[in-house]
Amino acid sequence: MHFSKTTSVFFFLLLSIISNAQNFELGKVTVAELQEKSHPKDSSAVAAILFKKGESRYEYKKDEGFIKITDVVARIKIYKKEGYDWATEIVSYSIREDSKESVSFSDAVTYNLNGGKIEKTSLKSDGIFDQKVNKYRAEKKITMPNVKEGSVLEFKYSIRSQNIGISRNWDFQTTIPVNFSEYKTFVPEYYVFNTNQKGFLFPVVTAEHKQKSVKFMQMERADPGWSSSNTNTSFYTSSLTYLENKTTYVLENVPALKTEAYVNNIDNYTASLVEELSMTQYPNQPLKKYSTDWKSLVKTIYKFDDFGEELDNTSYFEDDFKALLAGLNSPEEKIMAIFKFVKSNIKWDGYYGFYCNDGVKKAYKNKTGNVAEINLMLTAMLRYAGLQANPVLISTRANGIALFPNLNAFDYVIAAVETTDGIILLDATEKYASPNILPTRDLNWIGRLIRKDETSLEVNLTPTTVSKEIVNMNFGVDKNGIITGKIRNQLSDHEALTFRKRNLLTLKDAYLEELENKNNGIEVGDYVRDNETDLSSPIVESYTFKDTKSFENINNKIYIAPLLFFATKENPFKQEVREYPIDFNYPKQTKFNINIELPEGYVVESLPAPMNVATADDIAAFKYIIANAGNKIQVQATLDLKKVIVAADYYQVIKDFFQQVVTKQNEKIVLVKK
Amino acid sequence: MKIKSLFLVLTICISIAVQAQKSEYNAQSISDSLKENANAVVRLNQIDILIASQRSMTIKTKRVITVLNEKGLRAIDAIEWYNKSTTVRSIEAIVYDGLGNEIKKIKRKDFKDQSAVSGSTLFSENRYVFLDYTPIVYPFTLIYESEVQTSTTAFIPEWKPLTDYFLSVEKSILNVNCPSNLGFKKKEANFSDFKIVKSTDTPTQLSYTATHILAQKREEYSPDFDVIFPVVTMGLEYFNLEGVDGNAKTWKEYGQWFSEKILSGTDDLSAETKTKIRTLVGNETDPIKKARIVYHYVQEKTRYIFIHVGIGGWKPMPASDVDRLGYGDCKALSNYTKALLEAVDVPAYYTELYGDEDKMDIKSDFVSIQGNHVILCVPNKDKYLFLECTSQDIPFGYQANFTDDRNVIVMKPDGGEIIRTKIYDDTDNTKSSKGSYTVAPDGTLSGTVTMVSEGTRYGRKYYLEKMQPTDQEKHYKEYWDNINNLKIDKLAFVNDKEAIRFTENVAISAVNYGTIANNKMMVPVNAFTQYTGSVKRIRNRKTPFEIARGSADSDEIKVVLPAGFSVEFLPANFESKTKFGSYTTEIIKKDDNNLIYKRTLFVKSGLYANKDYDEYRLFMEQVNRNDNAKIILTKN
Repeated sequence: MHFSKTTSVFFFLLLSIISNAQNFELGKVTVAELQEKSHPKDSSAVAAILFKKGESRYEYKKDEGFIKITDVVARIKIYKKEGYDWATEIVSYSIREDSKESVSFSDAVTYNLNGGKIEKTSLKSDGIFDQKVNKYRAEKKITMPNVKEGSVLEFKYSIRSQNIGISRNWDFQTTIPVNFSEYKTFVPEYYVFNTNQKGFLFPVVTAEHKQKSVKFMQMERADPGWSSSNTNTSFYTSSLTYLENKTTYVLENVPALKTEAYVNNIDNYTASLVEELSMTQYPNQPLKKYSTDWKSLVKTIYKFDDFGEELDNTSYFEDDFKALLAGLNSPEEKIMAIFKFVKSNIKWDGYYGFYCNDGVKKAYKNKTGNVAEINLMLTAMLRYAGLQANPVLISTRANGIALFPNLNAFDYVIAAVETTDGIILLDATEKYASPNILPTRDLNWIGRLIRKDETSLEVNLTPTTVSKEIVNMNFGVDKNGIITGKIRNQLSDHEALTFRKRNLLTLKDAYLEELENKNNGIEVGDYVRDNETDLSSPIVESYTFKDTKSFENINNKIYIAPLLFFATKENPFKQEVREYPIDFNYPKQTKFNINIELPEGYVVESLPAPMNVATADDIAAFKYIIANAGNKIQVQATLDLKKVIVAADYYQVIKDFFQQVVTKQNEKIVLVKK
Repeated sequence: MKIKSLFLVLTICISIAVQAQKSEYNAQSISDSLKENANAVVRLNQIDILIASQRSMTIKTKRVITVLNEKGLRAIDAIEWYNKSTTVRSIEAIVYDGLGNEIKKIKRKDFKDQSAVSGSTLFSENRYVFLDYTPIVYPFTLIYESEVQTSTTAFIPEWKPLTDYFLSVEKSILNVNCPSNLGFKKKEANFSDFKIVKSTDTPTQLSYTATHILAQKREEYSPDFDVIFPVVTMGLEYFNLEGVDGNAKTWKEYGQWFSEKILSGTDDLSAETKTKIRTLVGNETDPIKKARIVYHYVQEKTRYIFIHVGIGGWKPMPASDVDRLGYGDCKALSNYTKALLEAVDVPAYYTELYGDEDKMDIKSDFVSIQGNHVILCVPNKDKYLFLECTSQDIPFGYQANFTDDRNVIVMKPDGGEIIRTKIYDDTDNTKSSKGSYTVAPDGTLSGTVTMVSEGTRYGRKYYLEKMQPTDQEKHYKEYWDNINNLKIDKLAFVNDKEAIRFTENVAISAVNYGTIANNKMMVPVNAFTQYTGSVKRIRNRKTPFEIARGSADSDEIKVVLPAGFSVEFLPANFESKTKFGSYTTEIIKKDDNNLIYKRTLFVKSGLYANKDYDEYRLFMEQVNRNDNAKIILTKN
């Protein structure tokens, strides 16, 4: 076991870390820290966060009401020049009128060792920058002076937010090691926050409740809504005793986050906290819930003007709809007609969100809108047509995974129709999408279907239907090895969506050049593409080809891999170990039906052996059948990827499986002269 | 005269405004030849530049674009930059559908306003307003109009009638008006093969009209866009740069002005710092050796941070500030290094240029402010050495792939001078691979190789040393994508910065490298340097093609074949010589199990004619095919 001999050493190390932990205060940089040449646990680290501590609390200000103050202090060690980026700290903040924030830096000092002595260089105003990025957002930045390999940096910043509803995440983990990370919240009893944790490492949590007696204000308030500042509140001076909830989260020795290929979004695996205001209860007022559970979340969101109200509005399209729905009876017909109508009439402006921007009515008139405008409009129209339609809140791939009842976790909305045959999901922002075929950005675990009656339902966003690529290829080989033949390539569902998005706009010449070059420089002729815009049918490409490269003529024998240029040359999984799950996006089948005609005067010397393999737990399977009769060879090769998200534990299994597939696909038929 | 010319411009504007009826820009009226290969069509792009004085220039743009599909959106290019010296006076757009019916009017308030900060720029005063339009139908036509006023007359925008690939042009007009006393000048390039009429060309006026330019396809290995397609570069002898007046007829005068007005007063250092650097240099007397010491000092002390404020976009931050803060941009770090060198009596000159992988020249026959980067020039007897001061890693004097082989403007004490930077000869850009591998009876490969890279090749390799271990692994698995099941068993580097030579020592293994079927084993003989790429086939190539940097590879690998097998077939030796280079492979059979594989690949840099492209493609295809040659073994 790991423990035997090294236990005492570990114990000693732990002790020393704990005793150090008492000194996590600014200004106490040690010579030992400055002398450290590399991180003791990660020699490749370019820098490390020696400690980072955050503290959030609420203060009452006479003219502003309650404000939230977050103080952060940090000490950072620079080991290598590649770590110099860590000498620049950027804090982004809101400058929206309704939720202004301000940021101030202080106590920023660079420490260096100069002839055995600690040399301090303080940050001056010429190293502090305030940049307005756009209407809503600004950035406060510092860049530390006199930074060298070995430097230790310290700084502090404070963020003041008028809007107590703004949530900030606390990341315990980042791309360099973090030795000590602590986040404390001091929350008056009037507020309750939902705190959700992400990642594979979890902080130690301690909570205390303290009576706090301050000269305080009795307040009488108009309903401020969850996100507005407290401008409608009036106060009467009095002394007040209230309970303050103090919660401390500590995580120590957090390893650097390593990015990997085929990960949907690394944020999902970063050890971090997400906070959201879920309840307020002011003295002499009823409890107000925001999003502690799905029910109150649904209630909250339906109350928003730019959500619920937008769903109820139908007047703007009613006139156009009489003609559209005329003669349509079945729900399927209606869904198809309305979905097509929205897709072709309202263009997506590229903005995410589950709130409307200009509103559905304006979007309808301007023929353009954001995600919410398009898909809430679609939902309203489907409801108007008598279908049981509701919005589904989702968190896109770029936004990470929403596992908890937490409004801030979502950034997108689509529409769902509940039918007797199940739920049909629709996203009208993508013009090539079909019912239940959503663009890749949407395919992120689970969404939440929310009904007007405050009930809600978890919806699986991971596709279950298998997207298929079926290649029929007939070719002949001449006695020099040169190959000519015909290909019919058929793509369905997500494969078709991806193809349409990528290629329908490409000019034909450019596409053919790409097709030729992608396929080992074959020459393509008689190219025909069917069902380009008929989204209910698969994309079908047919063409003839000439291939002068996919054979080898060695010592009067011809060597050919039957899949020719379609054979996968490399294993897509190259890493030795893997930390995070593998994401294949959707279930997929790739199938090749191949007929080969041999050159005159040649016979088969050897054929690759047939194969039939499947991984543990039926994640993937590969079948390879080959038969020779006279001057014909028939091959059928089928690759099935059945599971979409595969745990990292299966990495070696998947890697080995793909290696077998790659090897088999590249095995050669050997032809010899009679 | 002046009034008359103004009037002429006005009438052109008015007549166009009147003609801009709905039907005028109906998408259906575009000729078929202009639609071919086009994602968008420029119906009209009229730029009116009015230079009122040395400190005032107004640029009016009227652009009518018919966008045929989503990929043509970028042709709209509705964006204007501004800062303290430049204001956007007006900016607006109107959108019409394919038939010419108005869909939408876009006013200034509907344009977005964004700061120009990105990447390594920490702070910038520069901002831009831009149109973020979501089309609701294709094709559509957008009329964009803007007026920008600036006091900086040092940069007159270049006129390019064709601005992009897959874009055709119905009409493009340039009108320039300038007082006669400012020394307006211009330089035309690449006009042949294009319909461009110069209607006015006087000391105060310039007008061009280009018509009917067909959409061009982008072709691999093409020279820069500006080298193939028409461009007019313009400038003034009397100009203003962010509030600083200047005048220059010659590079000499330009250098004098720049040194006096921009650089002077920025190179002071404290006595303490001077003493420190003198102590560091000690008794060294050789100026180049002194420079090397100073350069390493700067590399250890500083880092790159870009802060852009006003004239600070051109004027370096004072050397004393860099000394205190330990950071700066290319100007600040070059200027700081210069100040340190001067403190130890080594002359060094501030040098402006285009820093780019492409070899972009300062146009030596056109005196004006050019370039995007600053380095330092140190005289070395009758030659020059150039120092890149923004990198903490690259060797002293190393220039490959970013500042090599191009004209630069060097600010010498007596004025500016155009000098060409270091040329890396094709034969100096070497990579030699030496090593051995063994194939086991089950097909497993195990081997070691030592790869030495020099010249431009050094620049493609040295960063490997600084990579995270996982990225190093990834690099080698991509580098040897011909070896499936590759495992990196050992990895060590030697980075010799003095000799500028990077050595990789790698031990690898891979199961199933030799594939076994029916008592035979196939072994690709070139395990370590197989070229698996290809040069794209292009139908009817139009543009010339360029190999910007040549290289010379040589390999010598011992191959040990498995016991119990005998050689059935060995690939024949191969040799190919073309105008683009040469390629040879040779297999020497020592005994039944031991071979020596030798290979050379030499690629020559140069600008070649479009019709040569296919020959080059076939040459590289031969390399690809031969690099994949296989030994066939039979089990005894």
